[in-house]
Amino acid sequence: MANNDLVVVTDGLTKHFGDFVAVDQFNLEVQAGTVVSLLGPNGAGKTTIVRMIATLIKPTAGSATVCGYDVVKDSDAVRSVLSLTGQFAALEDNLTARENLILMARLRGYSRKATVQVTESLIERFDIGEFRDKLVKSVSGGQRRRIDLAASLVVQPRVLVLDEPTTGLDPRSRQVVWATIRELVAEGVTLFLTTQYLEEADALADYIVLLDHGRATAAGTANDLKSQVGDQRVDVVAADAAGLEKLVIGLSSDFQLKVSAEQRMISIPAPDDVNDLAKVARAVHDVGVEVDEIALRRPTLDDAFLALTGQPLSSTDNDNEVEESRS
Amino acid sequence: MTAIEIERTHSAYEALPPRPAPFPRFFRETALLVGRALRTIARVPSRLIDVTIQPLIFTLLFLYVFGSAIHVPGPYQNYLLPGLIGQSLAFGVIGAGTATATDFTSGVVDRFRSLPVTRLSVIAAQVIGQILEQILGLLIVAAVGIGLGWRPHLNVGSAFELIGLMLLGLFAFTWFGVLMGMVFKSSDAVQGVGFAVVFPLTFLAGAFVPIQGMKLIPRTIGDWDPLSSLVAAVRHVCQGTNSTGSWQLTHPVVSMIFWCVLITAICVPLALRRFRTTSAAK
Repeated sequence: MANNDLVVVTDGLTKHFGDFVAVDQFNLEVQAGTVVSLLGPNGAGKTTIVRMIATLIKPTAGSATVCGYDVVKDSDAVRSVLSLTGQFAALEDNLTARENLILMARLRGYSRKATVQVTESLIERFDIGEFRDKLVKSVSGGQRRRIDLAASLVVQPRVLVLDEPTTGLDPRSRQVVWATIRELVAEGVTLFLTTQYLEEADALADYIVLLDHGRATAAGTANDLKSQVGDQRVDVVAADAAGLEKLVIGLSSDFQLKVSAEQRMISIPAPDDVNDLAKVARAVHDVGVEVDEIALRRPTLDDAFLALTGQPLSSTDNDNEVEESRS
Repeated sequence: MTAIEIERTHSAYEALPPRPAPFPRFFRETALLVGRALRTIARVPSRLIDVTIQPLIFTLLFLYVFGSAIHVPGPYQNYLLPGLIGQSLAFGVIGAGTATATDFTSGVVDRFRSLPVTRLSVIAAQVIGQILEQILGLLIVAAVGIGLGWRPHLNVGSAFELIGLMLLGLFAFTWFGVLMGMVFKSSDAVQGVGFAVVFPLTFLAGAFVPIQGMKLIPRTIGDWDPLSSLVAAVRHVCQGTNSTGSWQLTHPVVSMIFWCVLITAICVPLALRRFRTTSAAK
């Protein structure tokens, strides 16, 4: 493979903060034109990796290059080919959306005249017109993210780094940001993205790296990762605890059950697809209790994460947000 | 042809001009970032109020409440206002520190740092912006003071001497504040430490009452408090008054220059190193 197809390469990238090992021997290759996602819970080391690649902090050991430039030795060159959208929308609160974009464009080196053109086209492209002259501190979270993304794109970067682009956004804004990201990908921008939402990695990334306690625990396409976890199944969610008990008694003779009392859920392997679903549905009908849900499920990345790291990915409140965006 | 045109309007990127040499680039980027800071001052008048409200309250408090109990030669205004201006210089540490901490934790500075921008320009703009904000604050305090009867005795020479001393003081204490902001990374912490340390030192520095009238312990601290030299130097240049007491009080201008150069020599390298090697965002 030609070397210039690899946009980001890390080799044994490691970062210690005192005794704490934030990132441990992290290896990655991001090919041009692809979307690579780092997926992991809070504190897994995602942001630390991003900050090393974006030249904001220096690695303790190992190396990273962006478009062939070393992040330590050629940091200025790295900055000219990379655009970072950090986790905290990094805009000046007391400037308007437009003024923020102008400042970014001028800092990138555009002349005044070119700045006006670039800014106007970004305002149009990211649909910022409505709040272009509002101070950033008074726009909504979703609007802020759009300005933030636009600010990262005053030049066409070789690689766009997005650190948790939708954390804290409501489901609708998340959809808008995703749509924007998909457009950028369609235009051929190489994207390196971190997220704690499985949904997000699943929806956007070509290649996913699971990160846990600073180590890459698994990597592959979403399908690769899911297939490491196992087969599809039928999930039955009982309406109440008593119903769950009756279902367990009624179904256990015919099916192999996995019961999760907390979620009032029974999982049954379903290698035979819809036929299995029909069988289970009939059996549930025969037991005669109410259920909240009965569905055929393929393994999710959530399952993958649980299986590969031994812990669930998201904290409770993230779960809620993911659920909301699914519905 | 059409396809090419569509492609062009779609990507919509202008070609970047070639990058200027590092030196002009540094000036251009610093100017842009200072421009951002100045716009912010205009947008958030409350920040300017933060800089000026405290000295204004002190002016009124000491002039009309405590002033009658304080005996100094000449009108109390002429004693108090130079003291307040000296005190404001020291408070620049807190102002610059909180602004820096806020800026650095908000992620904005990280974005600047992730751009191909001379890194020195980011911190230079921070210092220049803070100094300009404080100059504005000092002018307001001075104007109010003159309105309330302060009469500085300045000639051309001493006016330049005053401006020079003020700029030196602003420079040193702003760098000190920027360093504090980067070390503490929280505006609350800077404010807490600042008020716990700077506030008492300004009271002992003879800003409001003469040091020589104090009891032994505060007098000894006041005699050698670096802020005393600031207050005494401003008073000496503005009113021609000479202070008595320790060597630094009888040679206030030289002492002030010494302290400011010392602070600058310590804080600037530390601040630059910290800015280069650490990231301040959480």
